[in-house]
Amino acid sequence: MTGVERDRLARVALGRLAEPGDPRFAGLVAEMGAVELVDSLIGQRDLGGVLVDIEGRVDAVGPERELERAARAGIRFVIPSDEEWPRQLDDLAATEPLQNRCGVPFGLWVKGPLRLDELAHSVAVVGSRSATSYGADVAADLAAVVARAGHPVVSGAAFGIDQAAHRGALAVGGRTVAVLACGVDRAYPMAHKTLLDHLGAEGAVVSEVPMGCSPTRLRFLARNRLIAALTRGTVVVEAAVRSGALNTANWAGRLNRVLLGVPGPVTSAPSQGVHQLIRNGAATLVTSGAEVLELVGGAGDHLVEEPRARTRPRDRLSLRDQQVLDAVPVAHGARADSIARTAGLGLLEVRSALTRLQRAGLVEAGEAGWRLAALAHT
Amino acid sequence: MPFATAHTVSLHGALGHLIDVQADVSPGQVGTTLVGRPDASLNEARDRCRMAIVNSNLEWPATRRITILLSPADLLKRGTHFDLAIAVAVLAAAGKLPRLALEATAFIGELTLDGGLRSVPGVLPMVLAAAERGVRRVFVPEPQALEAAMAPGMAVLGMRSLAQVVAELRGEEVPEAAPVAPMSGSRLLSWRGSQRLEEVDLADLVGMADARYAVEVAAAGGHHLMLSGPKGSGKTSIAERIPSILPDLTSEESLELTAIHSLAGALEPGDGMLVRPPFSAPHHDASKASLLGGGSGQVRPGELSRAHGGVLFLDEFPLFRTDVIEALRQPLESGEVTVARRDESVRLPARGMLVLACNPCPCGDYSPQAPANACTCPEVKRRDYRSRITGPVADRIDIVRHLAPLRPHDRSDRFGVHESSAQVRERVELARARQAARYAGESWRLNSQAPGPLLRERWPLPDEAQRLVDDHVYAGRLTQRGATRVHRLAWTVADLQGVDPPGHEQVDAAVRLRTGAPLLLTTLERRAG
Repeated sequence: MTGVERDRLARVALGRLAEPGDPRFAGLVAEMGAVELVDSLIGQRDLGGVLVDIEGRVDAVGPERELERAARAGIRFVIPSDEEWPRQLDDLAATEPLQNRCGVPFGLWVKGPLRLDELAHSVAVVGSRSATSYGADVAADLAAVVARAGHPVVSGAAFGIDQAAHRGALAVGGRTVAVLACGVDRAYPMAHKTLLDHLGAEGAVVSEVPMGCSPTRLRFLARNRLIAALTRGTVVVEAAVRSGALNTANWAGRLNRVLLGVPGPVTSAPSQGVHQLIRNGAATLVTSGAEVLELVGGAGDHLVEEPRARTRPRDRLSLRDQQVLDAVPVAHGARADSIARTAGLGLLEVRSALTRLQRAGLVEAGEAGWRLAALAHT
Repeated sequence: MPFATAHTVSLHGALGHLIDVQADVSPGQVGTTLVGRPDASLNEARDRCRMAIVNSNLEWPATRRITILLSPADLLKRGTHFDLAIAVAVLAAAGKLPRLALEATAFIGELTLDGGLRSVPGVLPMVLAAAERGVRRVFVPEPQALEAAMAPGMAVLGMRSLAQVVAELRGEEVPEAAPVAPMSGSRLLSWRGSQRLEEVDLADLVGMADARYAVEVAAAGGHHLMLSGPKGSGKTSIAERIPSILPDLTSEESLELTAIHSLAGALEPGDGMLVRPPFSAPHHDASKASLLGGGSGQVRPGELSRAHGGVLFLDEFPLFRTDVIEALRQPLESGEVTVARRDESVRLPARGMLVLACNPCPCGDYSPQAPANACTCPEVKRRDYRSRITGPVADRIDIVRHLAPLRPHDRSDRFGVHESSAQVRERVELARARQAARYAGESWRLNSQAPGPLLRERWPLPDEAQRLVDDHVYAGRLTQRGATRVHRLAWTVADLQGVDPPGHEQVDAAVRLRTGAPLLLTTLERRAG
């Protein structure tokens, strides 16, 4: 057996033994390697006091069997020494724990054709489950624009923003990935089975938790660090003040990823968390997919044109000419000297200005004098 | 005794009065007088009746003095359908018909000079009124026999000519007669726009989860609805699909609506009873009379009454004339239109759902989602347009929804809601059944019609839910009137979900519906599951 395969088996075993994101295991693996750690633990040698916690799980370990079962279900286990390994996850090694979760995952269970090393330019779209139809529409819209520009979309698989983000990306035929807090063979929530099946067939469903495992609160917190770490930037669409999406946002900040927030009505509770992030300066305000691309893409790749009003003919006039134009009456004509008085400018200057304005089609000379032409009204 | 009475009906709006047509044929100065406040067209009945009788090979008592009284005499009478009753009364008074045969029988129809019986508008409401007053048998023009037969417990005899009527009354064999040309102006087109509406379905629409839910709630509780959004956001498309999720009319509504259409002369001979809720979408140039009812002579029901039990859709609502909009206020409150005339006051049922649609500005492009700077309206015009949206009628709207334009990827979304109208209608029917059970014995059937004070007293919100309403009132986001509307809406949301009484979640959804805030996805999903 090659070293890589032994490493893979050891990492599968570790996934069974440890809770995801346990800081002690992350440290031990970095220190002594996965193979040696597993050998010691199975040999009942306690290291750093972890054995007490996991003793009951040791008997359940059977990595060969597990990999075999996964292969039959079309599921692979990607480890750091694989070519497919998303390098950006290694940033987690140097990051302080958040809610006592941290560290590079031992490996990732993946179901679906999308390769994880394609996620270098991906964008996370997250938000709370108690989202509004506004948030869902915006999330779908952002995801569609981002995915169309070739950036994969990453999210969870919950109701609300997560689901909307996947739908938006899928609708434009884009790449999209769901990161779960349970085994990739499980559909949670059950109502999203078709969505998850679809992602498993065309995008990817990813988890660090072994197959068959159910999601817990702690596993969601651990999962959030993966979403933040896998992507170039995280867009928070709607998040109430206490929500998992804010946890993901914190990870994004900690990992120096781009953090973006979509505002909502100031009266809307589901937007409160996002507003807080923007107010604190943690997140940058975005209102469209194009603005997201500008911030997560390469420098100068997707520059957004600032929204501006239509230019009108009178915008191009010099200040003095504008002053004269303002003094020209709308309906009844006025003579140049009366216009000069109104404008507060010299008669000679007003005369020449009126001629310029007439050439520009903004004023017309009638029998009674000068008045505005139709073009000046536009 | 040279005297006889035949019955017919005089219509005032949808209200019918049984009229005794009394004829006296006795010696005196030769001539025919018609008394009892007939209008011009009715006054001409004397000539029509005389020629019809003569040309039917019957004898007109030409050497006598004929007096015809339409009783009660103080009621103004108009229309041409009195002809048959007048002719029959004259014949009976002259002893040509057994008077007994005229008892508990009503006669409706206009006579042609050759004795043919022509159709008239409003046969159904007339027959209904007659039935209420104890009439058991009615003679009507043959093409309208089907319409008359909708009145329960009535023996309907459809006849083609006066000769047939006379034969039937005498108990003789009814002679053959040529069919009479149908009522003028009916069905010049073989295809009508209303047929298209029978084929539209909610399943045709993509996305619009929010608006779908809003129309479902509106349909379930009979709430008025306002849809706003830029051009092409699907306001009209979703509005014209509302009838498809409404349940069939109740038998009472169905009779009322059919009677209104009969009155408007809009009922085709083969139509039968109208059982599906109507959809009416008048143009914004519409006059007050065309919307509310009126016209010269006989009062014609307006679009509001023709949408009774269904949907009145006012597209581009701010462009309607201000006096027309103002006039809608009273009917919306009372569920009926009152048209006052010099001599009479006519009441017509008008209890439909009002659906208003408006753009963000006159050109309809003022939206961040529209192509950049597409709006060409000056700010003054935009402000003027918006100021027309708030007003007394808009204040009576329960649900406000803002629609976003369709985005390109909506069409290819495989995981969106694509429910058909039939699926939604099932839930609407269930919610309506729950309301019917709760309001059994009351004078209203739907949450939107429940009087506010009674609602607060007998079907209050739980404390926690009421607190949420109060919070919004204190924060200035809801007026007191708005709070009552939220209360009604909360019940409808609860009825759709099968919850009793409405709690925090249902009230929150109601507040969002009322204030135009986006709905929580949990509310939308709860409905689907």
